[in-house]
Amino acid sequence: MTLLAPWALWFLAIAGAVVALYLLKIKRRQATVPALDFWLALAGRTRVHSLFERLKRLLSMLLWLMIVVGLALALGNPIVSLGRVKPRAIAIVFDNSASMQTIEGNASVGSDAPRQTSAQNPFTRFALARKAVDDLTLHRPVTDQWLLIEAAREPRVLAPWTYDTRSVRAAAASIQPFGGSAELQPAIELAKQLLAGKPDPCIVVISDGAAGALQPLASADPTIIPWPIGAATDNLGIARLAVRADRQHGNYRALLSVVNASDQKIDSQVTLRINGSASSVELLSVEPRATWEKTITIEPTGDIARNGGVLHALIDRPDALPLDNEAFAILQPIRPAVVWLVSSPETAFFFEQALGAMDPLVSPEDSLTMSLDQYEALAAATAGASGQAPITPPDLVIFNNCSPPSLPAARHVIYLNAWPEQLQAPAAGSLEAPQLFLAPRPHALTDHVTLQGARLTKARKVTLAESGGARVLAQTAAGDPLIVLFEHPDRQSLCFAFDILDSDLPFRNAFPLMLRNAVAFMHEDAPPYLPPEVRIGETVRPARPLPLGATTAQLAVLRDGATREAPTPVSDRSFTFTDTASAGAIRLIAGEETSFAAISLADGAESRIAPIVLPPDQDPAVRLSLSRGLLAFGGVPWVTLVLLVTALVVLEWLTFHFRWTE
Amino acid sequence: MARRASSGGEPLFGPDFLTILERLDLIARQVLHGRRQALRPSSRKGSSVEFKDFREYSPGDDPRTIDWMVYGRLGELYVRLFRQEEELDLWVLLDRSASMNFGEPGTSKFDHARRIAAALTYIGMANMDSASLIPFDTETRPGLQRMRGKGQIFRVMSTLESLEPASRTDFVRAVQMFTSGAAARRPGMVVVLSDFYGLQAARTALDRLRFFKHQIHVIQLVCPWELDPPLRGELRLVDTESGAHQDLTITDSLLRRYKTAFEAFSADLRRYAMTHSVGFDRATTQTSFDEFVRGLLQRAGPGGLLA
Repeated sequence: MTLLAPWALWFLAIAGAVVALYLLKIKRRQATVPALDFWLALAGRTRVHSLFERLKRLLSMLLWLMIVVGLALALGNPIVSLGRVKPRAIAIVFDNSASMQTIEGNASVGSDAPRQTSAQNPFTRFALARKAVDDLTLHRPVTDQWLLIEAAREPRVLAPWTYDTRSVRAAAASIQPFGGSAELQPAIELAKQLLAGKPDPCIVVISDGAAGALQPLASADPTIIPWPIGAATDNLGIARLAVRADRQHGNYRALLSVVNASDQKIDSQVTLRINGSASSVELLSVEPRATWEKTITIEPTGDIARNGGVLHALIDRPDALPLDNEAFAILQPIRPAVVWLVSSPETAFFFEQALGAMDPLVSPEDSLTMSLDQYEALAAATAGASGQAPITPPDLVIFNNCSPPSLPAARHVIYLNAWPEQLQAPAAGSLEAPQLFLAPRPHALTDHVTLQGARLTKARKVTLAESGGARVLAQTAAGDPLIVLFEHPDRQSLCFAFDILDSDLPFRNAFPLMLRNAVAFMHEDAPPYLPPEVRIGETVRPARPLPLGATTAQLAVLRDGATREAPTPVSDRSFTFTDTASAGAIRLIAGEETSFAAISLADGAESRIAPIVLPPDQDPAVRLSLSRGLLAFGGVPWVTLVLLVTALVVLEWLTFHFRWTE
Repeated sequence: MARRASSGGEPLFGPDFLTILERLDLIARQVLHGRRQALRPSSRKGSSVEFKDFREYSPGDDPRTIDWMVYGRLGELYVRLFRQEEELDLWVLLDRSASMNFGEPGTSKFDHARRIAAALTYIGMANMDSASLIPFDTETRPGLQRMRGKGQIFRVMSTLESLEPASRTDFVRAVQMFTSGAAARRPGMVVVLSDFYGLQAARTALDRLRFFKHQIHVIQLVCPWELDPPLRGELRLVDTESGAHQDLTITDSLLRRYKTAFEAFSADLRRYAMTHSVGFDRATTQTSFDEFVRGLLQRAGPGGLLA
């Protein structure tokens, strides 16, 4: 017998007090009588010194001692082994990933079951896994040691080593479903570390197989005993929904990936909604255990390009895992770039035309052409206005055949036939009629650009410092750099070592393409406050500090066609938001900026819900020697003790009653 | 649990006490049919106006009692005998031992006995030749002797109020002291108020009173605690008089035996009284003293106080 709470043995000290009280004789109550002799003549047989009375007192004392010992043992929560099965150290790895929310049996197509939360629905694999914990802990000998690990994104010990199976079951009951993928391997590794030195160790992984991740782990280690959960396979889920803003074309590209986890071909459709309004319907036909993917171009309508929006993809088909039947993605705002062209009026025409043809990539309303003097005056005015400038600050400044005495404030600059000394790549002489070749390594700036055969009259000979952060995009046949991109943490500078107009590039498509690439590449917005993608169950924090002075984050959850305001307190320009248990979108209004985050499962591994199938000889009940016999009763001897103590109390009361009523 | 009555609490004699006494006196007069209590005939022969018998003259007889008419007819000297008239005294013996101090405060046996003693003394003073109040414990204590007239009642009340329960009792010795007095040797009515614990000693004392031809009436004071003691469990019983103690386990069975034995004790006392022409009454503290005294006066036949 082992006591789970040995501290309860301190209560045995009460037994000493009982004995002391009986030995020292409990102080009797005193009663005054008119004539004591009268009583003594009557009560000769009831004196305490009679042997019979002493025996009765001894019986009472023994009963009270047994009551005290019984209570102390019951409080100690003893466990008793019948010795049939050797004790083991068992670590339970509980898979609570998204696929464990699969609804098993007929309940998967029922009308009520999906409405319940995954933690409450008794037909989910999650609930079956909890029952498996109960089944396992109730039918092993009480001398086993138990450990419970939750295999969420990061493995977490929920119940440290204990003999108390009730605490293990209570810990299992407290596990909440996790909407992402379970990391079984780290959880198993953690279990192995904690099993070191334990007798007859084993790791019971209660899981549906984690899309096949469990099988190789169990095959490699015989101490791993998979406990398969579930049988359903019918699932068509969105494995991926991602959206990228195409600035060059002013639209969005959405990548939609759908997984068919079943053994049958499925024809279905995906409805795309933007800000709650139907945008398009994609018909799909997915082969068994295959993935369907498509890139969908979304042309923004209304204010979507300016304000952004929420894209909602929905598969309207009931299946075993409703969780992955919808996914969300964010359409970030597309803002045209503001370009300042600093050039003499005589040479600006060609570049003005090139930039003017870049709508909607370049904003014609806010872009300006100016001389160097005008630029310096405007730059000084813009900098001195401290954010209240009447003129929109430029995203990109192009210096044509000129450069300011100091580096401009703009983060993105193109120098045409200008080479500021601050770039640490001084010009040393000139190159006559150099040939222009693109560098072998491709770059976004040279996409679709062909410079082969371009004619240059002359160019600057530039020597690049080795640690200057420069990347050569085009060079001469001898390796002299002609187009160089300098990338520094706070600045990007694209330098042309020749005069564009002194070449035949104005007559080729190459330069306008390269200039368009440069505008698209070098134009960036400040990152939104919210991360665009959030996985179900993940905690949301701002991607960058909130504006100074903000005390409450004006958050709202867009889910099931409704918007629920969820103001969240701000601390140290940050917040923590945890209402991400199901798919939807989060909206944050900070200052004048609105940003969105999409909450989606979007995990192909979790959508592949087909469970692990074990051969009959790998039945965990057999490998774990589960018993349905008396061992189960051995787990609760404290109940027996309490019943015994109750019986003793009744017996003592009866003897007490007998003593006074004989 | 027994409670020893304290001398404090409600007054011993309330404001209407005298009114109650007057009412009881009226009842006593009705019982006596207007006769003076002091003119009771004596069984002893003596000198009075009521002729009783003749006997032969012997030297030393009062020559005034010689019946010369009989001498004239018979020629022999005979003296006339007359029923002697003697005074009837009431003696109230009040037990002031500690055992009498049982009961609720104000209604203890001692309080009850003092009220009864006051009432009987009042009636005696009003209707008899004299009334005396003698408290006793291990011996007789100074009391009030041979009082006449109702006006003495205030002395009686004052004396009773000043009485405190003593410790032990010795009824035999007290009676010895009582009868050693010349006045008490003359037969009278003796009322003993006590709980009579120690029955054997009580018998001895009563026999001594009977020896002096006293008309005896015993009143046993009983409180509810004695009839049904609220005792149970492991107790240390302490004698209220001696202070001796004994640990006992009071069970239901013992309590039943106690009640039976107490009734037997009381019955023994009653039996003694009946077989020795001694009046007997049991006064429980639950019954008011005037109701008890009224019953005592109105009861006819043997045992009645004025029978």
